[in-house]
Amino acid sequence: MALPPPLRTSVTPSELELIACEQLVEIIPLVAMERTAFISGAYGPLRPPAKCKVPIWMATNLKLKKKCHIVPPDWLNVDFLQDRLTRETTQPEFSKLPFRFAEIAKVLLDVASDDITNPEKVRSLLQDIREARQSKSREGVSKIDHSELSLPNLCAMEINEIRPFFVRSMGVLTQLVRPPEQGQME
Amino acid sequence: MEDDYYSVESILAENQKIQCTFKVDIPDMGHLDGGNERDIKALSKIQVPMWMAYILIYSDYADFTIPPPFSSRVRNALNAEARSVRLSGLVGQGGLWYGFGRMLMGLLNDIPAQELSDVLTKTFRARLPEVIDQAHHFASIHAAAASSSGNSGGSITSDEATIAFREGLDGTEREMFVLAQEGARRTKRWYETSERVRRS
Repeated sequence: MALPPPLRTSVTPSELELIACEQLVEIIPLVAMERTAFISGAYGPLRPPAKCKVPIWMATNLKLKKKCHIVPPDWLNVDFLQDRLTRETTQPEFSKLPFRFAEIAKVLLDVASDDITNPEKVRSLLQDIREARQSKSREGVSKIDHSELSLPNLCAMEINEIRPFFVRSMGVLTQLVRPPEQGQME
Repeated sequence: MEDDYYSVESILAENQKIQCTFKVDIPDMGHLDGGNERDIKALSKIQVPMWMAYILIYSDYADFTIPPPFSSRVRNALNAEARSVRLSGLVGQGGLWYGFGRMLMGLLNDIPAQELSDVLTKTFRARLPEVIDQAHHFASIHAAAASSSGNSGGSITSDEATIAFREGLDGTEREMFVLAQEGARRTKRWYETSERVRRS
């Protein structure tokens, strides 16, 4: 393969971020713009102060030029995340969160922290949730098997982090487990 | 680990020696033992590399004994506490204990092979969480050391047990260690860099 070794095992976090930025987010535009066609689709028209749905990459771009406010998604607030953190720490399974929450939360907190109420608290809650989930995925390591491993509600970034060695160690286990004898199969 | 012709690991794992007892006289092959004998006598015990053992055993020239890395002493130790056995000490630094075990499994049949497979699988599963934990631990230490740039080195401390465990990793486990460490480091770096600078 022509890819350099670090890129072969899984995609990079920044690539995941790029993918996540295709998702739509609501903005309150501060400039007017006609409906415009992009490769991924047509967005607009922007008519202040009416809300409008655009991809995150476009929202961050406008936000950095101070041409819009971003309306944070309904899961990106203190109440919701607090609730999820409580579930995460009290229940054995992963709690349900948007598949690409880590990427979206980071991008929005980076560029639009002034549109999010209490961003510091949100940030620390996200950090706590991440740590709680990480310790759970570590427990998953001990349950690893040569053929399957089920960790429902795991999110894109977390899957990506553990993918290389989970895949490899399952490969090793497949080699170590004895294939059933032909005679037994029949 | 695989039976791939091009796999360097597979070739290295084949380099382990295994003790064979010859069943027949073989003339002019005494140099295999490194001794002065001209011929190999029947019932003499000689250490031959794995790749040669295959053909000797399959063509019924010799029998083999289970090599020390998989002796009952080691198995008992693994049963007691898999994490405190130094696999690298059994097969040499960077050696491939699992790979060697797998080849041995191919030579055995039925019950002994199944037992060996169980030992290998159980050991791997018992040691993996510790490997991953240490890899994550190291990834965060290095990231912290890199960000505080000023005093590089010296900040990495770990107790005797973890050092011993790390030195005892076999080649396959080392590979896991590197994969886990790299993944953790990359994700951590992403979480910590602020995108504001890049975007604006």
